[in-house]
Amino acid sequence: MTTRRHFLAGLAAATLTPVRGWSAAGAPDFLAAGLFPDGFYRLAGLDAGGTILFSLPLPGRGHAAAAHPHRTLAVAFARRPGTFAQVIDCTSGTVTRQLHAPEGRHFYGHGVFTADGDQFFTTENDYEAGTGVIGVWDTATFTRIGEFSSGGIGPHDMRLMPDGDTLVIANGGIETHPDTGRSKLNIPTMQPRLTYLDLSGAVLEHVELPQALHKNSIRHLAVRADGLVGFAMQWQGDLTEHPPLLGLHRRGEAPRLLTAPEADQSTLQGYAGSIAFAAGGDAIAITCPRGDALHLFDVDRGTLIAAHALTDVCGLGTGPDGLIFTTGTGQFGTAQGRRAKTLSALDCQWDNHLIPIRAFG
Amino acid sequence: MRTIPFVTALLLPLTAMAQDRGPILDDVTQSHILPRFAQLAEATQQLKAAAEAECAADAPGLRDAYHAAFDDWISASHLRFGPTETGDRAFAIAFWPDTKGFTPKALSQLIAADTGLDDPDAFAQTSIAGRGFFALEQMLYDPAFAATGEAEQRCAVIRAITTDINRNADAIAEDWQSYALVLTQPGADSPYRSDEEALQELFKALSAGLQFTSETRLGRPLGTFDRPRPNRAEARRSGRALRHVELSLVALRDLAARLSVDHPDIATSLDAGFNKAITRAQKLEDPVLAGVATPQGRLRVEALQQEINDLRAIVATELGPTLGISAGFNSLDGD
Repeated sequence: MTTRRHFLAGLAAATLTPVRGWSAAGAPDFLAAGLFPDGFYRLAGLDAGGTILFSLPLPGRGHAAAAHPHRTLAVAFARRPGTFAQVIDCTSGTVTRQLHAPEGRHFYGHGVFTADGDQFFTTENDYEAGTGVIGVWDTATFTRIGEFSSGGIGPHDMRLMPDGDTLVIANGGIETHPDTGRSKLNIPTMQPRLTYLDLSGAVLEHVELPQALHKNSIRHLAVRADGLVGFAMQWQGDLTEHPPLLGLHRRGEAPRLLTAPEADQSTLQGYAGSIAFAAGGDAIAITCPRGDALHLFDVDRGTLIAAHALTDVCGLGTGPDGLIFTTGTGQFGTAQGRRAKTLSALDCQWDNHLIPIRAFG
Repeated sequence: MRTIPFVTALLLPLTAMAQDRGPILDDVTQSHILPRFAQLAEATQQLKAAAEAECAADAPGLRDAYHAAFDDWISASHLRFGPTETGDRAFAIAFWPDTKGFTPKALSQLIAADTGLDDPDAFAQTSIAGRGFFALEQMLYDPAFAATGEAEQRCAVIRAITTDINRNADAIAEDWQSYALVLTQPGADSPYRSDEEALQELFKALSAGLQFTSETRLGRPLGTFDRPRPNRAEARRSGRALRHVELSLVALRDLAARLSVDHPDIATSLDAGFNKAITRAQKLEDPVLAGVATPQGRLRVEALQQEINDLRAIVATELGPTLGISAGFNSLDGD
């Protein structure tokens, strides 16, 4: 690995405001879970050059994590349908708490802190009722203090809007039940929606796609500083169709759907894994591990800027410049415009998501 | 450690190129797919005719025709791509599981409605939950519907459902006449760009079919040890739950044999695994899987589910790689 590359990445990172508290954990820029050569699933803290600053063993395959806004805490989720999440102190490397889903619930693998870090929200399945729930936790002790409806079925990713008072939730629309594993029980009637709730759970807005796209599960989210929401989708219909997998939405407006030219779109197998805005917010990308591609779009024009071929790419986050991606083959790299390069290649398999700790861009 | 993915990446395309996939695509299409949908069209025609002849819920001719046509659907129900997905035809033929109880609600509305039942186009616009074999099953076998509304109205609902099933089956069979060409001749004019992509569609039908039988057909009634769910067994009202498991395994055995024809060792282990599971299913003698509620009966159903899961493992780890199915860490995750 080139020292110069690390040096440059370090320079870029140094110009950003450090996040209070996190410097004690070696100032990681990102968290990512992965499978390591010793056979352990671990949660790793990485710098913007792809160097692992620390890694902590997880009890099983991870999915996503959420970083506390200023304490060196992260909540790491197992892949669904997990019933617990771990609160990890990233300074000491110890598990300080466990969140247990209540009876009859499981986590979907995503959660978000409030701006002050005092509360934590989790997306959950009330699987007997087949409805989505948002759990509310007090972060002083990580005890459950309440819950409310997610506004749909199968809530997956969830983000806090820049106003700090609004949650945006990807209600994927797919009903599952732990008795039947990951089998999808309601494809013909599924109706995904993007839901905006206030922090007490009151519905502010529902956004649904046209009926012809009702099998396009809205799963992952990215939010720009001005409140523009990007959403990535997973198509549950016939794979000989190649619908858009990326959408943009601004409160009160109709969603815009972005698609690559058919020759590229048709290679994606209807599946986007992660989504993020590039630094600066003018571009947005989705990763497509089944099509081995990262598609980067111009936000204003809605057109494809570049389709990068990257084997098993899935993790994606805003970087100091452009985007940072991770792959199931251990690569950690940057994509900026038409250029993509690997910053580090490790002997591990990075899992679905890359979690930025600080706000780049 | 680094060399392993490198070597795999180099070898896979070479292996793929070394084999001509055309014969497998032709064989599966001609001998596995087309006959099943032709048979379904024929059996549903007879079902429609039986309902025209006599539409009482307990009419033996109607019930026999229902079982025969439902058998033919289950034997084709793993082929979920192309013509079956157009206009949600497959879901309109078989809406199950019905986790929210939409079917009885839709049927009550249909029985209460005065118009539209004798117009197939209008009926095709109604909820898929009130159409297809599972709606018909409730009309024929659920005591709740034997006495709902007037006999004449119930008869009209039964005839509308059987006509609709036949229309969808005919449309699928007809579309397959042209879809057979795009599946066997991939390229610019086909949704499949290469033989490998077409083959992957068939592989997915096999693996998803096994998953559905294991996780849903058996998993739903199994529930948990503390809370078994015998009432969630598929088509339990007409005593077909175990039969669906057996029919699906027989159909999937045929598909697996055709897909593994170039790899005799894999074909042999798949055939042995299917035969073991089918024999175990036949020996269960528990048509509605009621045994899931007793410790002893539950063990036997779980053993069957395990054998199907063993088959899934062979399909994913041995058969998949021979067909160029990528085994990526994230691409297979589905989340």
